[in-house]
Amino acid sequence: MRTKLILALLIGAVAVSAAVLLLQGQRTRAPVARITRDGVLLEEIDLEETQAPRSFLLEDERGRNLISVEQGRIRVLEADCPDQICVDQGWISDGTVPIVCLPHRLMIQIVGGEEGLDGGAG
Amino acid sequence: MAGPVKGAGRTARLALLTAIALTIFLAEAQLPVIPVPGVKLGLANIVTVYAVFVMGPGDALLVLAGRVFLGAVFSGQMMTLIYSAAGGILSWSVLCLLAKLLTREQIWLVSPVAALFHNLGQLLAAAAVLGSWAVMAWLPYLVIAAVLAGLSTGIAAQALIQRLDKLQK
Repeated sequence: MRTKLILALLIGAVAVSAAVLLLQGQRTRAPVARITRDGVLLEEIDLEETQAPRSFLLEDERGRNLISVEQGRIRVLEADCPDQICVDQGWISDGTVPIVCLPHRLMIQIVGGEEGLDGGAG
Repeated sequence: MAGPVKGAGRTARLALLTAIALTIFLAEAQLPVIPVPGVKLGLANIVTVYAVFVMGPGDALLVLAGRVFLGAVFSGQMMTLIYSAAGGILSWSVLCLLAKLLTREQIWLVSPVAALFHNLGQLLAAAAVLGSWAVMAWLPYLVIAAVLAGLSTGIAAQALIQRLDKLQK
């Protein structure tokens, strides 16, 4: 009985997660990348307005991240952390999942899309 | 299975389990990255599950704390300590609760639940550190990963405990 209940809850959690991932799709149409450290906004980049690809360095006492921007997408090119999770994630171009560099407490999140479009249309 | 081990035998067993868990943890860190960044099997949790069921919650917590701390020291990533500790404590609590509710026949089911709460704890710690709930976007990925990884480590832990039971008879 308990077995079945727990099994059902687990299957439910997986099903909901899978549904969320499948339904998310690509919603962000006017992407703006927000780069925050410790929750404080460092930079805001309009990815649509970025014509020429460019890179810039973000540095503080915890370490360095080399950020690369192209039209419509952004990535971490290099980082001096041991795990390289942010680098391995590669380009992001929508708000599905932010790039997070936990050792440096850095987060790159793409916002805009639906809310942005609605706001612009109004 | 022999009753609760005490004294030097217990200390030796705790040390042995911590050493095994640490070895598995560090060996796993050398494996190539799974496509989704940040996701791994968590093979060292086989030892945690074993410890909760065979040695009891208190001893399991000692082994877990030893492994998490030494793992952070040996891998040179002290920053990960917050996340491992948050995930570890949450999943340990759930493990202890489930160990009371379920028997050794259902370890395969206990482990995915514990893995799920481990990932949830890590994400909560990350949200606190980054000061943003945006990291919760990872949750669906981590839920699926946790259930798959937890099932594999759970089945491994169950096989381990049943074989060790046979050995002691």
